[in-house]
Amino acid sequence: MEIAGQNPDIISARDLGLVACNRCAKVWPAGTQTCARCGSRIVARDTKSLQRVWALWLVGLMCYVPANVYPMLRTRTLLSVQEDTIVGGAIELVHHGAIGIAIIILVASVVIPLAKFMAIAFLAISVTRVSTVSKHQRQRLYEVVEYIGRWSMIDIFVVAILSSLVQLNTLAAINPGRASLFFALSVIFTMLSAQAFDSRMIWDLQTKPEGSSAND
Amino acid sequence: MTETPPPVAIENVRKSLLARISMVWAIPFLALAIALFVAWQAYDARGPLIEIEFADGAGIAKRETELRYRDVSVGVVENVTFSSGLGSVVAHVRLDKAVAPYVDAGSTFWVVRPELTARGISGLDTVLSGVYIEGSWDSTIGPARSRFKGAVEAPLFQSGQKGLQLALRTTPGGTMTDKSPILFRGIEVGRVGKARISQQGSFAIAEAIIYNDYSHLISPSTRFWETSGFTFSVGPSGAEIDFSSFATLVGGGLTFDTFVSGGDPVEDGTVFEVFADEPSARNSLFNASEVETLEMRVVFDGNIAGLAVDAPVELSGLKIGKVQSVSGVIDANAFGDNRVRLNAILSIQPARLGLQDEVTPEAALRFLEARIQEGLRARLASASLLTGGLKIELLQVDDAPPAPFVTGEGIVPIIPTTQSEISDAAATVEGVFNRINNLPIEELLNSAIDFLNSAEAFVSDEDLRETPQDLRALLGDVRGIVTSQDVQDIPGTLNAAIGRFETLLTQLEQDQLTTRLATAVDAAADAARGVTASVEGVPALVSELEAVAAKAKALPLDQLTTQLTALTTSADEILGTEAARQLPADLGAALNEINATLAELRRGGAVTNINATLESTRQAADAVATSTQDLPALVDRIRRVFDQASATIAGYNKGETLSRDAQAALRDISKAADAMTSLARMLERNPDALIRGR
Repeated sequence: MEIAGQNPDIISARDLGLVACNRCAKVWPAGTQTCARCGSRIVARDTKSLQRVWALWLVGLMCYVPANVYPMLRTRTLLSVQEDTIVGGAIELVHHGAIGIAIIILVASVVIPLAKFMAIAFLAISVTRVSTVSKHQRQRLYEVVEYIGRWSMIDIFVVAILSSLVQLNTLAAINPGRASLFFALSVIFTMLSAQAFDSRMIWDLQTKPEGSSAND
Repeated sequence: MTETPPPVAIENVRKSLLARISMVWAIPFLALAIALFVAWQAYDARGPLIEIEFADGAGIAKRETELRYRDVSVGVVENVTFSSGLGSVVAHVRLDKAVAPYVDAGSTFWVVRPELTARGISGLDTVLSGVYIEGSWDSTIGPARSRFKGAVEAPLFQSGQKGLQLALRTTPGGTMTDKSPILFRGIEVGRVGKARISQQGSFAIAEAIIYNDYSHLISPSTRFWETSGFTFSVGPSGAEIDFSSFATLVGGGLTFDTFVSGGDPVEDGTVFEVFADEPSARNSLFNASEVETLEMRVVFDGNIAGLAVDAPVELSGLKIGKVQSVSGVIDANAFGDNRVRLNAILSIQPARLGLQDEVTPEAALRFLEARIQEGLRARLASASLLTGGLKIELLQVDDAPPAPFVTGEGIVPIIPTTQSEISDAAATVEGVFNRINNLPIEELLNSAIDFLNSAEAFVSDEDLRETPQDLRALLGDVRGIVTSQDVQDIPGTLNAAIGRFETLLTQLEQDQLTTRLATAVDAAADAARGVTASVEGVPALVSELEAVAAKAKALPLDQLTTQLTALTTSADEILGTEAARQLPADLGAALNEINATLAELRRGGAVTNINATLESTRQAADAVATSTQDLPALVDRIRRVFDQASATIAGYNKGETLSRDAQAALRDISKAADAMTSLARMLERNPDALIRGR
């Protein structure tokens, strides 16, 4: 693939007048509207893909703001009630000397989501413009984003598990904060956004000028 | 390759602008709309910010400390700052919009902290959750306000807690427990708030609330009293300790009762007095004048030790009140120097002043004011010589210097004073003690010790110690005599003799001797009568005898007396001889003989003999009766003899020559007298001789 990526004479299925079903991967002649095997709709390129990406990306970003402003965990012990935001909790952990855990939390809850936002935005922009990054790298980036996106939910899992386990009535109780909902929504929307991205477009735009220049 | 563009072109044509825009854009717009709506709603729901000023910010934390109303959070402290000049702490509280209108000018705020009191622990939840600010306001919307001053402690009247608001004040000289529950039959029906001391210090007054459910229990005749502390009594059923509840034991409390039923319900603000105990509360009800007293005060200079609370206040010797409190007072403005003066508050009972029209404190004040203008003054006087206690006397002082009399609302009028008259009982008592001190007690004790020493020496003397032994020996001898067989036999012998005599008498009775005896007795009576008649001449004889005796008295009788004494002594000696001691034994023998004789008598038909004897007795008595008829003549003759004798004695006085004859005559007379004496003795010893004729 690396070699192929560098290779200018890569031809896409579309160039060959073929279209594959996204669901069952059966290849049909271009222009086929419905997959005869699984019955799903077949489009060569999803033209509204970028719109969906941006829309969902925007919602994800909107949710990410309250997810960081509001407290994530509400820890009530016998004597006090503590509410920690994501970053605040990490700082608290650093103060207590648990730097490792703090780094994990920061990476899982701050770095990865932010990187995802940036990666999706980059991909969405790169398909509309000429990019210096090679198609293969972008394809790899897309795959990584898609793969890693679900791991952002680890924070939500921690909150969910703690909330269900630590319920000792008056002694101590941990409840999810308002941020956890927004964080979950943020993760969900970024995942949907990443999924909405039609990775085939990575290959299109740059092949077109290449193709046209080559063809013309 | 050429086929590809047309379908693209067709597609481009086919799709309208609207179709090109994905429906997914609705999601971010919806999210935005929701966010905006939520933001607006949050902003809209935000209530106003109020500032509450506290003396300190103990436990008040930003964004944590809540404002509560009826234990429900209605706001939160957003910020804690200092007031300008760092004089106090200002808590900025964001109110809930719903309650904000009610937080008006009449609201009060205080910090609820954990508190441990005798009644229990309050605000325990704040130990864990931290303090909170409690607010209290009524349920009507008033003029808004945003700056408040926090109260130091929870107010007594919390809005929503409806009740009858009263004021309780102490009785003169009484005490009161403030911040305590009011119990009725052991149930808390109200509370007393913090008490204030009146300006003059003469009483304390506190606000109190009776909860609405119980306010009907209060009527004008209700009396309050203290239940704090406990009573301890020892009675027939054992020791008894009594207290109403642990809370009142430690923290005090009040209770009340309405002793007289009926009465209108009281209104808010009514003042009641708190009595020390139930009896005094009960008594106060039936003695209204005791309650409505007139307060006046007297300021004394100088030494006033001895004036105590409850000391009597007298007007012309009649008690009209008592001293309610005694305190020192320093008032340079009023008295001109900084010396401590005695300030005695008097409570005067108008009823005792004998006012005619109305018995009220006001009338009493007017009366006293008039009297003071005329010269009524107060002074200290001794109430008790023993204790040195003082009383206050009001008395009329002529040409007293005029004194200002200030009355008015809230002013306790002063009664001017005059020279105190304190009899120095203490000094007198001291004098007495001095005199006792000066008594020669030591010398007295010394001589007492000396006396006791010599007494001891005497007692420990050997001879004296032996005296009891001698006595014992003597007693032993006496016992020997008493227990001797002869003495002990006497009663038995006597008994036997009496027994026989009784049988003899019975026999006499059986032989119907009584009638004869009666005749004999009659004869004897006749004889006695004769004697009585003949005795009539005796007084003259006696006077003669007296005359003789008087003359005889003149004779030297001393020698005779000494002779008599000697005779007596010898008689004593005779009695002390062995023969005399043998007398009891002889007596016993004689009695035995008598017994034997009596037995013989009984045996030998003595009765007939006796009969004869009685007969002769009667005859003898008759003879005596006849002979006594001759007695007057005899007496006459004796008188003549006495006359002669006295003449002779007179002659003896005249001349010594006759003395020998006279002495002979006297000797004769003496012999005759002796003979008569012996006869008389014989008759004395044996009266029977007259009867028996022997």
